[in-house]
Amino acid sequence: MSTPTLDIRNLTLGFKGYTGFTEVLHGISLSVEPGERVALVGESGSGKSVTARIVLGLLQELRTARIGGSVLFEGRELDGLNKRERHALRGKAMSMIFQDPTSSLNPVFRISDQFHDVLRRADPRITRDAALERAAAILAEVSVRDAERVLNAFPFQLSGGLNQRVMIAMALANEPALLIADEPGTALDVTVQAQTLQLMRKLVEEHHTAVLFISHNLGVVREFADRVYVIYKGRIVEQGPTRAVFEGPRHPYTRALMAAVPRLTGGGIPDIDEDSPDFGAPLETHDAEGRA
Amino acid sequence: MTAPILELDAVSKTFGTGADAVHAAQSISFAVNRGECLAIVGESGSGKSTVANMILGIYPPSSGEIRLNGTALPASRKLEHRRAIQLVQQNPLSSLNPKRSIGASLRLALDVHDIGASAERANLVGALLEEVGLPADFARRSPTALSGGQRQRVAIARALACQSEIVVLDEPTSALDVLVQARVLKLLNQLRETRDLTFVFITHDLSVVRNIATRIAVFEKGRMVELGDTETLFANPAHPYTRRLISAVPVVTLEEAALRSSLAAGLEETTE
Ligand SMILES: Nc1ncnc2c1ncn2[C@@H]1O[C@H](COP(=O)(O)OP(=O)(O)OP(=O)(O)O)[C@@H](O)[C@H]1O
Ligand SMILES: Nc1ncnc2c1ncn2[C@@H]1O[C@H](COP(=O)(O)OP(=O)(O)OP(=O)(O)O)[C@@H](O)[C@H]1O
Ligand SMILES: [Mg+2]
Ligand SMILES: [Mg+2]
Repeated sequence: MSTPTLDIRNLTLGFKGYTGFTEVLHGISLSVEPGERVALVGESGSGKSVTARIVLGLLQELRTARIGGSVLFEGRELDGLNKRERHALRGKAMSMIFQDPTSSLNPVFRISDQFHDVLRRADPRITRDAALERAAAILAEVSVRDAERVLNAFPFQLSGGLNQRVMIAMALANEPALLIADEPGTALDVTVQAQTLQLMRKLVEEHHTAVLFISHNLGVVREFADRVYVIYKGRIVEQGPTRAVFEGPRHPYTRALMAAVPRLTGGGIPDIDEDSPDFGAPLETHDAEGRA
Repeated sequence: MTAPILELDAVSKTFGTGADAVHAAQSISFAVNRGECLAIVGESGSGKSTVANMILGIYPPSSGEIRLNGTALPASRKLEHRRAIQLVQQNPLSSLNPKRSIGASLRLALDVHDIGASAERANLVGALLEEVGLPADFARRSPTALSGGQRQRVAIARALACQSEIVVLDEPTSALDVLVQARVLKLLNQLRETRDLTFVFITHDLSVVRNIATRIAVFEKGRMVELGDTETLFANPAHPYTRRLISAVPVVTLEEAALRSSLAAGLEETTE
């Protein structure tokens, strides 16, 4: 039996604010095996990004955040690590592609310098020339045609999609054990998105990388993920193999979500309630064989 | 006959010079009628945001002319021009000042454009938040304490605050879950009617475009390769690039997959 790359157990999160304490995560559990692609989908504001930030150890540094439960990375409790050890994991053993490329690329440094920094995390003595050569090779893998121009540019000089591909290339540069991708396709057109997913899939297969994939695009999730967790208001409401969840959604929230996907065949914007008391129904679990 | 509300006449934009020049937009011409929702789709780096930025007056075209209600827009815009055309951005976080509360950002928009009596403005802020489906007391929050989707609603509220005629929406719903997306798209449709708004809607999501746009402009490498009304374009895409775009869309139903593969089949005949 293998140890999951990521094992989240009964994770809770709340924020202390002026107006009191707001609970955001009410005890969520999820795991990602080595080489597995797992999608986390669901409501905006339900707690997907904060979950990712906890795994990366970023929210722990926030004074207003109260975190409970446990997060195991390759069998090691994250809570037991000090700040330095956590920092060492980040960007090397685990890396993240963020929702908003402009907020994670530094606007005042050229892409080349940011790449050099990333590669230095795994290899502190890498020379600038070697880093640039490696960067160009990785950029080529995410189908950036003119790597030289891109490396020389500041983020504002690149289109949204180019910035996102730069981020993906940086996240993959050190061949992490766990890749967390938060809305990686938001700024990508469909043809590039398809290529990116293919690339991510190739990486997963070659390096046995575990991927936690956060997305609102259910079409993408269906094509990319092995397993799906559906989250609503800080609770997992349905989980199972991708096919089982898409072909036989059971939880009222999952059903509403599926019905709301805009169809390429038209028919207008569906009229579905954003909220319903039924959405509070208990967790639905599909078994591993995918039988509904 | 009324003039189109917005016209682009052979608009081009080149960044840099000589060997480093990037021809981001090349001789783009189209007209948008009042009340329309014109979508711009195309691959990453095809010049969509560049065209949006020129429409907004963030930078002037290298050549060509942009007309608002039949009048050419000057290279440096007056306040009234800036009010008339507003932006809802791809990245909501970068468009909201993190040091300012949501309420203060909306209030600033009302103050700058002198909307409503000043005593009324606090109420207007609450009403705007409710109009986009957020509780009025979110006014006190900082943008960093909101989810991506909640921030995007705030950005829409700010565009509404200015009572603009044209709203340029650059990927306005790609950060939202599909249920909230459906509500926001319905809201946008409804606002287009009640406020007689005109939309220029930039997105990669062709499934959204299919259901919201009245017409679609397809961009490839800085050029507009196809322009047509939504029904016609999906029923019979003329340009191979349009076909390729539609046939790459990830879908969830069998009917959609069938549409996709019928277009992909047509593609093999036209390319390679
Ligand atoms: N620093 C913070 N302080 C207070 N509340 C916060 C903070 N960060 C996030 N929240 C709240 O936590 C909840 C979950 O936010 P999160 O960003 O994880 O949502 P999400 O599921 O990623 O949504 P989206 O799909 O819109 O990106 C939201 O209600 C948000 O307002
Ligand atoms: N300020 C700038 N300086 C130099 N080049 C730029 C600048 N802004 C955009 N470009 C270049 O112009 C081209 C078009 O970019 P634009 O942002 O318009 O693309 P887009 O269609 O919006 O793409 P995306 O879908 O990725 O957002 C790209 O090659 C980009 O790198
Ligand atoms: Mg998020
Ligand atoms: Mg853009």
